Amino acid sequence: MNSSFERHRNIVDFALSSLLRRKAKNLSLLAVYTLIVFVIASIIFFIHALKREAMLVLQNAPDMVVQRLAAGRNDPIPLGYQEKIAAIRGVSGVEPRLWGYYFDAAVGANYTLMASDKQQLEPESVIIGSGVARTRRLAEGDMMAFRAYNGEPTLFQVQSILPYASELVAADLIILSNRDFHALFNFPKGVATDFAVSVRNPRELTTIAAKIVRQFPDTRPILKREILRTYDSIFDWRGGMMIVVVAMAVLSFIIFAWDKATGLSAEERKEIGTLKSIGWETTDVLFLKFWEGSAISLSAFLCGVILAYCHVFFFSASLFEHALKGWAVLYPQFKLTPAVDPYQLAVLFFLTVIPYTVTTIVPSWRAATVEPDAAMRS
Amino acid sequence: MESGDGGTRCRHEVVSVIRLLHVTKSFNTGKSNQFTAVQDVSLEIESGRVTVLKGPSGSGKTTLLTLIGCMARPTSGRIMLRAIGSSALPGMEEADEVEITSLPERFLTGIRRTAFGFIFQHFNLVRGITVLENVMLPAYPTGEGRGAVHGRALKLLEIFNISRHAHSRVDLLSGGEIQRVAIARALINNPSVIIADEPTAHLDTKLSGEFMEIIGNFKAEGKTILIASHDPLVHDSALVDMVVEMRDGRIIQDGSGR
Repeated sequence: MNSSFERHRNIVDFALSSLLRRKAKNLSLLAVYTLIVFVIASIIFFIHALKREAMLVLQNAPDMVVQRLAAGRNDPIPLGYQEKIAAIRGVSGVEPRLWGYYFDAAVGANYTLMASDKQQLEPESVIIGSGVARTRRLAEGDMMAFRAYNGEPTLFQVQSILPYASELVAADLIILSNRDFHALFNFPKGVATDFAVSVRNPRELTTIAAKIVRQFPDTRPILKREILRTYDSIFDWRGGMMIVVVAMAVLSFIIFAWDKATGLSAEERKEIGTLKSIGWETTDVLFLKFWEGSAISLSAFLCGVILAYCHVFFFSASLFEHALKGWAVLYPQFKLTPAVDPYQLAVLFFLTVIPYTVTTIVPSWRAATVEPDAAMRS
Repeated sequence: MESGDGGTRCRHEVVSVIRLLHVTKSFNTGKSNQFTAVQDVSLEIESGRVTVLKGPSGSGKTTLLTLIGCMARPTSGRIMLRAIGSSALPGMEEADEVEITSLPERFLTGIRRTAFGFIFQHFNLVRGITVLENVMLPAYPTGEGRGAVHGRALKLLEIFNISRHAHSRVDLLSGGEIQRVAIARALINNPSVIIADEPTAHLDTKLSGEFMEIIGNFKAEGKTILIASHDPLVHDSALVDMVVEMRDGRIIQDGSGR
């Protein structure tokens, strides 16, 4: 067998024996290291999977939403605009939407109310998201009270509850008929909250948006890709905030690792001297320390990543749920589809494994380059 | 003082395996705390003989051993090695003499690994690992097959009657057993020169006697032995061929030809 291979095999064997003889120290180091990788990997996995999930959901969003602005604020858009927008070349459909928010003082939650006649709802009945059902402890057939625009209580019957699969986007959703929507909010007739516009060729979106603005200067078209970008930024921001907090822990670990690595104990120095005196080259000693460092950092990386994977995809990131999902009374409950970005994993690898391995090698290199007569004098 | 002369060499039909020419070793050179541990030492150590460096603490014995054992370089002077084995230096013939003073570190490491077997005063075994691993350690970087090294290590442990402890941690052994492990380790790469620094300093009379018996066996095998010791059990032993007495870094008496 190749002598270079044998040499490395022998050194790796000795590196593992070396680690085992300082079990308590190395296991505690491994535990701290794993914890840090676990936290960072959890954030990375969670944010990536959430973004992917959100992007998939938003694929069904309209190509463009057209709102009306009055004094820089959203204002109901006249239905009279609908036909003129639909007549623009390239527009395949314009659908007026009625929706708004309702604050439920009883539980301190905000619901999204959406009017739709497609659901063929009975008068004074609603379909609710599973988050709403959970918060208000409602089942199908139960009555749900709303306070109308004039303060009058209005009762609605829960006709059905939206399926669990839609939880991520519909946890806080309440669907009611157009008539009930107008009655509840005293919403004026002949206007909609906004228009959902679909186009034949997505490449023409910008041109069509420009035409809409030219024709109706009081409108604001919002393109789907702008919505996607906003969501992307929100998730990145939330993950970034969490990473800033975790950075403190990482920094502490780096100080700890640096202290451990730079301060070779007298025993370790003596061992390096002994190894050199019995014929180990400086490179052999460095390989030994490299393998020791690699064994710790690679194990920590693998354990941390596997634990993070289980934590995020099997336990819905239960440990950091509140920090990652944001504050809300209505928490959506959902399981993420496993999705890992190899690029982010590679970045994590280079940020955790490489620095630690280097910090263990440098002081050993300093110790290994001195003459080995220290062993004779110890 | 030069120990060997032509007459000595002729009388014993041996050659000098190690030659020191005006070797001086100073520490902290140029600083206020500079001191010279070895001063102008010239010496010849003969092949297949037992040479003892004798002297009180601080006389420079250990420093001289480190210089000869390629663990440190002299401040001035030259050290020549002969017949240290062709594997130590590439392209070198078995009988060539080589000056080690100016050799790069990796060649010195090669010489340390193949030509010398070291037995340290405190034995310097690596704690926490097994006896067997300790004995195999010097062979790890040679790239020799693990099976061959393993077999040789077990054989050495058997010779020194400690094979039953092969898989025990060295921390659990007695003083005498630890010493025998250290000797086995020194022999794993089959060196031609054994260097021992105060080997009996921590041993009782019985164990010291056993150590000298082992030295006798090495001598019978033709190995060159260099010991630094101020123990009369060592330097007064009948096995010793030459006693070099040192004081304050200088050789004050050379007992060659005893």
